[in-house]
Amino acid sequence: MKHLAQFLVAVITLIHVFWASAAYAGDVYFDSKWTLWQNADILIWTTEKDSPIDPKEFCLSLRRNNTGIGEPKCRLFGEWERDTVATRYASWLSNNIEPGLEAHYLKARHPSMMAKFQALEDKIVLYITDKGSDLKIAIFDENASEPRAVGSVSKNADKIALGDEIASTLFDRHTTRRLSKEERLKKESEPDDLYKETPTFRSWGGISAGFAQAQIPLTPDNWYSSHTRSRVGNYRITKDSVSLWNFIDDSTPLFTVYVGGIWFGFIGGEIFYRYSSHDVKIDERDSVYEELDHWNFSQHEIGLNVLLSRSFEPFKWLDLHLFTFLGFQYSFYSEDIELKDSKKAPSKEYETRIRFEDAYKGALFGFGTQCVFLHHYGISVRTGLSSRGKDIYTEPSPDAAAEPTTIGASTIDWFISFGLEYHWTPFK
Amino acid sequence: MVLATALLLTSCASSYHWSKSHPAYARAPYGELSITGLQTALVLTRTKWFANRLDFGDSTQIKATEFCAKAIEREFRSAYSNLSVLPDSLLAEFPEESQKLDERIFMKGKLPEQGVSIKDAAGNIPPQILLIHEVIIGTDLKRENFFDYALIHNESEERRDVKNISAIISYTLWDNVKQRPLFSAVDEIQHPVLKLSLTDLEQLMRQTVQQIRKNLYQGAGK
Repeated sequence: MKHLAQFLVAVITLIHVFWASAAYAGDVYFDSKWTLWQNADILIWTTEKDSPIDPKEFCLSLRRNNTGIGEPKCRLFGEWERDTVATRYASWLSNNIEPGLEAHYLKARHPSMMAKFQALEDKIVLYITDKGSDLKIAIFDENASEPRAVGSVSKNADKIALGDEIASTLFDRHTTRRLSKEERLKKESEPDDLYKETPTFRSWGGISAGFAQAQIPLTPDNWYSSHTRSRVGNYRITKDSVSLWNFIDDSTPLFTVYVGGIWFGFIGGEIFYRYSSHDVKIDERDSVYEELDHWNFSQHEIGLNVLLSRSFEPFKWLDLHLFTFLGFQYSFYSEDIELKDSKKAPSKEYETRIRFEDAYKGALFGFGTQCVFLHHYGISVRTGLSSRGKDIYTEPSPDAAAEPTTIGASTIDWFISFGLEYHWTPFK
Repeated sequence: MVLATALLLTSCASSYHWSKSHPAYARAPYGELSITGLQTALVLTRTKWFANRLDFGDSTQIKATEFCAKAIEREFRSAYSNLSVLPDSLLAEFPEESQKLDERIFMKGKLPEQGVSIKDAAGNIPPQILLIHEVIIGTDLKRENFFDYALIHNESEERRDVKNISAIISYTLWDNVKQRPLFSAVDEIQHPVLKLSLTDLEQLMRQTVQQIRKNLYQGAGK
């Protein structure tokens, strides 16, 4: 029970501390991203006869509250206090600052007032007006003819305490180093970081490793199961032979070497060579295979892609190219088959085993992205579908039935690959 | 496809915002109101068409707009027991400014300076002033042709068969104490006519004032 009481006292104290600090920090109506300079020049612009804060003491308050502020200079802004247009706007502002009103409702409309704001150059104007129960404060700088931040602080006859409160309400933020006159001039003539000319031609070379399989992700198994579950019996027998995946394993690693180039960051081309190795899916129950040591096919593909690309530059050191590609390819299969050493002569079935076509032609399409770091070093991801086949529609002939059917006339797979690339611009 | 395009077009047309309220506009004026702009804001288009049908003699433009201004004033007087009409010269020295009502809708008009309250002839400060910027009177007018900056340069077709006489009015309810626009709007009023008479013109002006009052009520407290 005693502990509970202690705990409650602690909680109440904490709440008091929070409440007190919240009240102390004043009330901010809105605060846009204005820049607080190191060694800031602060001009105190007030509608009151006697300034509610003392410029020198306010500078000390700033240094107490914000260690990064350096050596600020503060003074009363007499020029504006004597100016008719500025005085009218100041009294208007005093009437119009209300909680909930956004900055654009407080915009100065008079052209010569706008000109005054533009002429401020790095100086920060602190506007203070007495509203009886509290003081409304606003910050102006050269970038807008409306207040960048508005808030209120409670009234306090103690000028030092009031200065502290204002400093902690609106000046509690990171400071930025001010540029010298020369630096300013130089910066104005510097090209924009985000402005970059697209090179006329950009080229790249790369290697990639990936994976291919017959099943396209997010599509049902049963679209492919007749092909992927098929087994080769007796060196040549399958249910059907329309897809090569009836004979050989479809899901394998895939390796690619490629070079490409793009004009104006928009349209380009790419030549590639792809390699993968596929085991034949022999029916293990078949005793005829007892003689076999291994049997697989290497798939070699060469082709050409056309790319359409769109480039982004999120950071200075990163170029992002999104692209889509469409291309064609020729596929060749080289057989690698060997009998066990103990076997002297192959069986008759071995001699009459399945033979693939010399070459298949196909198409591929997909999309991907290249992330190029420091204009040269790229990593890329691409995914798509590729096909390989043979024209099925040949001219009908009288002995069509006697002709052998084309094996693998429609073989499609999905692939994804990750590549390392080097990019260069041979001419700008 | 045609239907879809038509839908798209109509949906675009109806997406305009024709009025804008200040967050501090809580209550529409009641009983007391000052208006200004009636001397110079009115413009009659297709003067010849009106001249052929109304018996104003040589100076249809001047006399018809005077007639309309009086009709507007009469209607306002019947609505606000304490109405004062301020001379246009009070605003003459101020620059013309534009107020944005919507992405493409900008309305031009003179507004008093910040920090300066308008005083009437007796030296009083009226709390709220209805600033009438522009009243365009014509036949079958559409307000988007006048206020949508993308359409402003389109030449409007001159229709031979007139279905309506119309008025387009742009105005601002001005808070004279705090010098801020409380409610700004552009209204379009159509009045069907078969054979034009002065009664039709007066009727159009009455409808215009009624529309303004309706909008002033609807815009409050938004």
